[in-house]
Amino acid sequence: MKSFFLILIGLAFLFLSGFSQAFAQEWGEIEEKAKGQTVYFNAWGGSQTINEYIQWAANAVQKKYNVHVIHVKATDISDVVSRILVEKAAGKNTNGSVDLMWINGENFKAMKENKLLYGPFSQKLPHYHLVDIENKKTLLYDFTTAVDNMESPWGMAQLVFSYNSNRVTNHPKTMLELLAFAKQNPGRFTYPSIPGFHGTTFIKQALFELIHDPGVLNNPVILSEFEKNTRPLWEYLDALHPFLWRKAKAFPTSASQMVSLLNDNEIFISFSFNPNSASNAIENGELPDTIRTYIHTGGTIGNAHFVGIPFNSSARVGAMVFANFLLSPEAQAKKADPRIWGDTTVLDTQKLAGKDKALFDAVPKGVATLTPKELGQGLPEPHVSWVQALEKKWLEKYSK
Amino acid sequence: MSGQAKNSLFPVVVIGLFCITILAGLIGTLLPSLNYLPVIGHTSFSLSVWFDFFSYPGIQTAIRVTLFTGLSASFGAVSLAFLFITFSYGNRLWKFFEKILSPVLSIPHAAFAIGFGFLIAPSGWLIRMVSPWMTGFTVPPDWLLLNDPFGISLTIALVIKEFPFLIMVTMGALGQLDIKKTLLAGRALGYKKEQIWLKLLIPRLYPHLRLSIFAVIAYSFSVVDMAIILGPSSPPPLAVLILKWFNDPVMSFKMLASAGSLFLFFMVMVSILCVYLIEKSAGVLRPWTANGKRRSFLAPIKPIIFFMGSTTFFFTAVSSVILVIWSLTWQWRFPDFLPSAGTLKFWEKGLESSFDPVMTTLLTGIVSAFIGLVLTIGCLEHNVTAKQRRTRNYTNYIPYFLYLPLLVPQISFMAGIQLLLVIMRMDGYWITLMVSHLLFVLPYMFIALSATYLAFDSRVFDQAMLLKRSYIMVLFRVKLPMLLKPILFSFAIGFSVSVAQYIPTMLVGAGRFSTITTEVVSIASGSDRRVIAVYALIQQFLPMMMYSLAIIFPKIYYYNRKGMQV
Repeated sequence: MKSFFLILIGLAFLFLSGFSQAFAQEWGEIEEKAKGQTVYFNAWGGSQTINEYIQWAANAVQKKYNVHVIHVKATDISDVVSRILVEKAAGKNTNGSVDLMWINGENFKAMKENKLLYGPFSQKLPHYHLVDIENKKTLLYDFTTAVDNMESPWGMAQLVFSYNSNRVTNHPKTMLELLAFAKQNPGRFTYPSIPGFHGTTFIKQALFELIHDPGVLNNPVILSEFEKNTRPLWEYLDALHPFLWRKAKAFPTSASQMVSLLNDNEIFISFSFNPNSASNAIENGELPDTIRTYIHTGGTIGNAHFVGIPFNSSARVGAMVFANFLLSPEAQAKKADPRIWGDTTVLDTQKLAGKDKALFDAVPKGVATLTPKELGQGLPEPHVSWVQALEKKWLEKYSK
Repeated sequence: MSGQAKNSLFPVVVIGLFCITILAGLIGTLLPSLNYLPVIGHTSFSLSVWFDFFSYPGIQTAIRVTLFTGLSASFGAVSLAFLFITFSYGNRLWKFFEKILSPVLSIPHAAFAIGFGFLIAPSGWLIRMVSPWMTGFTVPPDWLLLNDPFGISLTIALVIKEFPFLIMVTMGALGQLDIKKTLLAGRALGYKKEQIWLKLLIPRLYPHLRLSIFAVIAYSFSVVDMAIILGPSSPPPLAVLILKWFNDPVMSFKMLASAGSLFLFFMVMVSILCVYLIEKSAGVLRPWTANGKRRSFLAPIKPIIFFMGSTTFFFTAVSSVILVIWSLTWQWRFPDFLPSAGTLKFWEKGLESSFDPVMTTLLTGIVSAFIGLVLTIGCLEHNVTAKQRRTRNYTNYIPYFLYLPLLVPQISFMAGIQLLLVIMRMDGYWITLMVSHLLFVLPYMFIALSATYLAFDSRVFDQAMLLKRSYIMVLFRVKLPMLLKPILFSFAIGFSVSVAQYIPTMLVGAGRFSTITTEVVSIASGSDRRVIAVYALIQQFLPMMMYSLAIIFPKIYYYNRKGMQV
């Protein structure tokens, strides 16, 4: 009986090692096939620091794997989604114009629903096993849409508020305190107009803090109960708006404009989706070094961003090689450096050892960056169906 | 005479090219607005999209704002241009404008909007100039100067940007009117200068400007980049809303965007029709023009018009200066009048990384402007010969097609063309990219060149023909060299239109080609004004270079031809 078990275990080992060998072999083939491919990586191009990082990564895979990556700078990745949709409509099922794209949230949902993505593929990437899917739930559910390995993790994001410590001594810690701040400092806070990712996130965060039962946010929105559930939010915004920048008669058009407003001292409190972006902006002179960040007690909404391969990519394997490189400890540690970009890693640094771990240990903490402990676990995004309902109601109320 | 006979090919090619693309663009816009977009599962025709469009929250305000900004900006720019010519033609201010017109025109709309916004914002340069020593502001005041819900700041910016364009077209057209003689005759009869302009010259000038005025109307209604920066935000003008819908991750919004585009197109057409009707009914003013009154009621506003005209140039110039300062900035905080720390870093990086895009831009711009020039001259020549011989004149049909791309909102129009190109597997090629630029380059070149070209004194041509008898020789040795100045100018305009194209480059080029403008637009979606300024200045430099060449080259070429040195 014992020997039978031993044999069984032995067989299992053989099978597993064979499996992993096959796995490695398969990946080896992918790397082999990828040689000489040109990968058109479509990604937002609005930040020079990010553009430079992508250029660095492109140079690295050119050297290491002989894969040629070209960064196609998009203004808004939904332009690219539209293009792929057009290609599908025209029956262009191979030789698509996009090989890899930076994506998450609603755009991912749209692509997944319209079958515009190739995959599942991320489980095939050798570095994927370093990803912290155990603790970072948003890597499995992208804005509550199941990822299903149809996109490969790239970075983490979390809503953080930034403030000018020269102007604000006691920063607010809740939405209600933010209202009190606005009343004391009329015109010194605002949020980007809706619809739009950042403005909507602010609304969602407020809803999280104000709703009686946050539990309902995990489920699809029930329109018959929407009014009742969201009433505290609208009451809050009604109270807040008269004290916003320009008395809420104008809103910034984007999160980018919020950065300029903060730099110009037009507003004293802003927010972003990268806990390190303030440190990064201080580092390159874009923001004064008196900017600090904070989050609300009870946490703030967190999510992740990914890279995906369109269904009609002609350079899938090349795209996978690049996606795998983006997950490498080398690339992730460099990305996490606030002097470079400061984008939080998706890897579980506990899983790393030796040289790889040292890479992360060497990443300095940004002057305005909170510690992982202070940031805590990000709040989950509300179910994706809430977005449209909230945006519609907001527009009806405030965009007349 | 064979060259002369075959020149009917040119208008046929132009009409063919525009027919196909416009049809594709319109069908690609019309079908989704009728709930037909199979790729996302909408296959039953209905009017539901239109109901959704008209019940979209804030749509009425968006339409109202669009109407207000579109009409008042066009009216403001046109009347300012007319009044300015009236008062200042030939004086020192006018001559100064002639000199600085090209650099002013070459400033891209978005770059101007960024500079203008930074100038007049509560945290902008004007307030910084007097803060804190005079105003006491250590932080910017919370004033609603930009992005006002009525679109006033957007309107002012549009007037400032369109005014020099109209002045340029006017300068081109004035050459064909015997301004000096009319002025002399009018003076001799005791008319005030303003009365001569209003009663005699502007009615004759108007036909030359008609198309440009239509283009200004269409542009003011469908402007996106300036509207995002300076216009109202909730709700934004219709054109911005359309772009937002088009880019919404929820695919069904694309149908809404199509309906919106058609409605915007409709608004533009109705406005143009109104202008046309006003023009037709202008005959009721005839008694006034002939009433013999010589005194001018306009004299009191003369200083105002001088002031406004000069202010527009001042604002444009200062906007550029602001961009230059930002591009050299490391840190620049309120209320500092100048940056507290500077750097050349952004120029170094910007010049290095924009080299390839600049090359693509130059190549595309020069080739499309050159083809545009060949087609424009070909069509105009056909027009001239057909008129002479009283044969069939295809050029008569051209305006119906040529100007449509300028009147339809670009985003949805190009989306239809994109679909067509992808179906034919022709997207992502440089040649199709260049042709898509041509769609917008050609109409502007036509506007710029046709009036002057058609006014060419045919007696000169006939004389040369008597001496040489070769149509081609006379065309290339006599006529074109004599028209060198307007030809180069329209080339420069065509080039700068090509440089400015963003949506066609992205949609038709499939992201395969980055030009300086795609770089500018993508970097402008970020927040770093220093980098944005560097790219915007590089973008601005290219057309400026072309305009300067258009001015300098004829001077060199004509150095020994006294009659041509005007």
